[in-house]
Amino acid sequence: MRVRSLWAALGISLLAAGCSGLGAKPAWEQLPPPIVEGPVVPQERLHRATLENGVAVLILEDHALPRIALGVVTRRGADSESLAQAGLAAMTLDVMKRGAGKRDALALARSVEEMGAALSASAGWDSASVGVAGLSEDTERLFDVLADVVRKPRFDPGEVARARAEQLASFEQEKDEPRALAGKQMARVLYGGHRYGVSADGEPASVAKLDAAALRAFHARLFTPAQSIVFVVGDVTAEAALAQVRTHFGDWPAGAGLEHGTAPPEVAPAARRVVIVDRPDLAQASLAIGHEGISRRDPERIAADLMNTILGGGGFLSRLMSHVRADEGLVYGIGSGFAMRWYPGPFLISTSTRVAEAGRVVEISLAQMEAMRAEPPNAAELRLVKSFSAGRFVLGLETSSAIAGSLVDLDVYGLPPDSLDTYRTRMQAVTQEDVAAAATRLLHPDRVAIIAVGPADALRPLLERFGPVEVVKP
Amino acid sequence: MFAPAHRNAFAVALAFFFFVSGVAFRAAAVDDPALRTQITKLDNGLTVLLLPDTATPGVSFQMWVRAGAKDETNYTGLAHLFEHMMFRGTDRLPPESHERMIEGRGGRVNAYTTADVTVYYEDIAPDSLPLVIELEAERLANLKISEETLTSERQVVLEERRMRSEDSPDGRAFEALLGLAFQAHPYRVPTIGWRSDIEKVPVKDVQAFFRTYYAPNNIVIAVAGNFDAATTLAQIRRAFGQLEPATNIPRTPTVEPEQRGERRAVVYFDLRSPILAAAWHAPATGHPDAEALDVASLVLSGGRSSRVYRKLVYEKQVALGAQGSYWELQEAGLFYAFASVRPGGDIDEVERLFMAEIARLRDEPVSPAELAKAKRQIEVDLLSGMETANEMASRIAGEYVSFGRIRPIDERLAAYRAVTAEDVQRVARTYLRDDRRSVVHVVPPPPTAKAAK
Repeated sequence: MRVRSLWAALGISLLAAGCSGLGAKPAWEQLPPPIVEGPVVPQERLHRATLENGVAVLILEDHALPRIALGVVTRRGADSESLAQAGLAAMTLDVMKRGAGKRDALALARSVEEMGAALSASAGWDSASVGVAGLSEDTERLFDVLADVVRKPRFDPGEVARARAEQLASFEQEKDEPRALAGKQMARVLYGGHRYGVSADGEPASVAKLDAAALRAFHARLFTPAQSIVFVVGDVTAEAALAQVRTHFGDWPAGAGLEHGTAPPEVAPAARRVVIVDRPDLAQASLAIGHEGISRRDPERIAADLMNTILGGGGFLSRLMSHVRADEGLVYGIGSGFAMRWYPGPFLISTSTRVAEAGRVVEISLAQMEAMRAEPPNAAELRLVKSFSAGRFVLGLETSSAIAGSLVDLDVYGLPPDSLDTYRTRMQAVTQEDVAAAATRLLHPDRVAIIAVGPADALRPLLERFGPVEVVKP
Repeated sequence: MFAPAHRNAFAVALAFFFFVSGVAFRAAAVDDPALRTQITKLDNGLTVLLLPDTATPGVSFQMWVRAGAKDETNYTGLAHLFEHMMFRGTDRLPPESHERMIEGRGGRVNAYTTADVTVYYEDIAPDSLPLVIELEAERLANLKISEETLTSERQVVLEERRMRSEDSPDGRAFEALLGLAFQAHPYRVPTIGWRSDIEKVPVKDVQAFFRTYYAPNNIVIAVAGNFDAATTLAQIRRAFGQLEPATNIPRTPTVEPEQRGERRAVVYFDLRSPILAAAWHAPATGHPDAEALDVASLVLSGGRSSRVYRKLVYEKQVALGAQGSYWELQEAGLFYAFASVRPGGDIDEVERLFMAEIARLRDEPVSPAELAKAKRQIEVDLLSGMETANEMASRIAGEYVSFGRIRPIDERLAAYRAVTAEDVQRVARTYLRDDRRSVVHVVPPPPTAKAAK
C-alpha cells in the first residue's frame, strides 16, 4: 500500500466496502452507461453525386488540417479473376503504381514524393483501390496523378517483369513466416479448386504466366466508370472537389465490366482434417482452426459478429482469451473472426503456442466452439459485448478518412448507405436467441480444418487425435 | 501487452485510407494544438498534461512511466514482465478486470515497454474517463503481485518471446544487432529479456521494481480528446494525489564506450530471405545532429525514388526491401540499415551495395532536389499523427518525457528547414564510419552446421 496516510488508506477501504458516505462508489462498481444510438455520419460535411458516365462520387469535407486524400475504388476485385490467373488483380494494381501517362516508374515516384505525398494501389477480394494523399495545396497535382494511374497506366513490359519477379520472390519469403504459411494451407484445405483456395496475391504457377497484355486487358474491365467510386476527403470544398472529379473522370468512357466469380462450396471442409506444415526449427506451433464462414451481405452478420466477439473477437472479454491466455498462460494472444467477403470467406481461430501445448490449445478451442453452440450467452454477457461493439464502432469512426472508408465499403457490398447511422440500433435488437442461432448455424467443431506450422515430428502425436493428419513442406 | 484481436470490419482494399491519414503540411505557421496543453505538477511530483479538444468523439488517457528495459539490474525483461503484471489485479480487483471493464465499454486498452519507458493507455468514450482514472490509480496504489499470477504471466511472456524473437528472423536480427553495437550500456539487451531471466525472476524482485520506479514523481499522465480540463484535473488529484513519491530512482551510470573497429556477427536461422542488419552509433534523442540524420535516412530510403530502393530493389533486384533509419533513444542512438535479401540472392552483394550508398553520403553532398524532397517528406510526416486523441496524447507525453517540454511543430519544422547538404555530409562522415559499424547477417545454416545440430 503506497498511500500517504492512514486516513487516505481508510478512505479507500471504506469506498471498497461500498460505503457511499464519503462520496460515490468506485466507478467500477457502477453500471456502464447505456449504449447511445443514432446517426454518426456528419451529413453536413458529406456530399454525394453520380457523374453522367456512372462514376459514383463521395466527398467528405474536413478543414481541420490542410490535407486531402482522394482515390478510386472499384466494386470488383480478385474474386472476378479465374483460378488460372490468380493474382491478376493484385499485380495489375501493383504495376499501375509503376508508371502512368507521360511518367515512367521513376518519374511517377518522384512527382508523388516531391509533394511529400503517398500513392497506394492494391486489390482485395471484392474491390481494388488507388489512392493518393497529400496537402490540400497540391489538390490539382494529386488529382492529376490519380487520374493518370487509374486511366493511363503504362504497363511497361520491364515493369511487369520486375513486379512479377518481386511477387514470386515474396512467395518464397512468405515461407519464412509461420502465420502466412498457416493462412495459405487453410485456404487450400477449405477451398482448393475454387479461387478462394489461393491467396488474393495468387500463387507461383499463376503469377509466372501473367504478362503486360493480361494486365492491360484486366485493367480495362476493372476500372470502368460504372464500376467505380471516386472519393475525396479533406480540406477542399465540395464544389471544388466535384469540379476536379468532373475534369479528370467526367470524360471517362464506358466499358464492359466484370462479374463476380462463383460462390465457394457451402460446406468446407466436409470432415475433420489436420495439416502440419513442417518447420522443424520453430519453437512455437502456429495454429489455425477453421471452416466456412458467412458473407458480408448476410442478414445475420451482426448476430454472427456479436457471437464471434463472445467467442474470440472481443479481446479479454472473449472466452478464448480468458481460458487460453488468462487462465492457463498457454498463448500470448488468441482470436477468432469471420472473413466476410462478397461470398462467405473462412471462419478462423488463430494463435500460436509452445509446441508441447498445441494439442491442449486445439482442445480448448474446439471445446469453446462447442460450448458456444450448446448454450446461448447469458444476458449480461450479451450486454457486455454489445457495449464493446458500440464503443469500438464509434472509436473506429474517429477520423474523416475512416468514415469515408466505411461509406465506400458499404457501396462495394451493395449495403444500404445509412448502415452506419442505423448500426447501433440494429445491434441492440439482436437477442440471445439470435446469437445462439448464429452459433448453431456457423460453428462446426466436428468438422474443422486444423493447420499447424511447426516441427511435424513433435506435432503429429499431439494432433492426430483430432483427425487424419497430412504433413506438407512449406 | 497483447496482440489486437483480428477483425474484418473493412475491406482490405481500403487499407490505404488508414495509413495515409494524418498527412498535412503548409509552409505557413502551423496551428499546433499541442501548444494548448495544460501542464500541472502535483505535490507528489506527478506530471499531468491535459489537452482538451471537443471536436473529437473520444478520449485517450496515457500513463508514461520512466522505467524501461534500461533500468533493469539483475533480471532482464523485468520492465516488460512487470508491465504484464499491471493487468493481473489489485487488492480489490481480480486479474483481468481492468482490461475487461475498459473493453466492456468499447474502449481500447493496452500497454507497451521500450528500452526507456513503459506506457499504459486507454482510448475510451468521454463518459468512461472517470473510470479509467480510478482504475489506473487503483493499480498504482494497490497492485497485487502473487506467485500464482506471476507464474502464468511468465508463460504468456515466454510465448510472446518465442513469437517475436525466437521464431522471427527480424527479431533474431535486431537482437543480435543490439548485442553487437552495445557492449556496455543496457541497450545491449532486448527489451523482452532473455528466456532464462523471464523464467527465474522472483516475485520479490518484481515487487521491488514496482516500488522503485512506479512512483508519482516518475510518471507523466497525458489526457487528450473530449473532456473538461478542470473536472478531470480534480479527479486526477483525488485519485493520484495521495501516492507517495520515491526519494531515490536509480539510473544506470554506464555510458557506452567508443567503438574502435568494425564488429560482425552471423546468426543461423532456417529462412529463405536472409537479412542484412547494420548499425552505427549515433547521438541520443534531442541532439542538434538529429535532423540531418533524419534527412540522410530519407535520402537513402524515403520512397521508390530514394537511393537504396532504386539501387537494391529496382535496379539490381537483389533485395525485397531495404531501409536506413535513425533511431533515437534517451541515452544513445543508432543509425541502422536493414535489408531483406531476395531468396536465392547474395547477401554479400546486398551489403556491398548498401555500404556503397552509405559511402556516397559521406563522399558527396546530396543534390538540391533530394534535399528538398526529403525535407518535404519529413515535414508532412511531422504533421501526421495529429488527428486522433491517441496520437495527440502520445505526442505530448513522448515529448514531455524526452525533453521536459512539448516542442512546437514550428520549431521542429524550422530545424529541418535549416539542414543543408553540407550538414548531411558532415553527419554521415561523423557517424557512418566503416570502422564504427556493426554488421549482422541472418542466413540459413551451412549444410555442415545443420548436420551437426
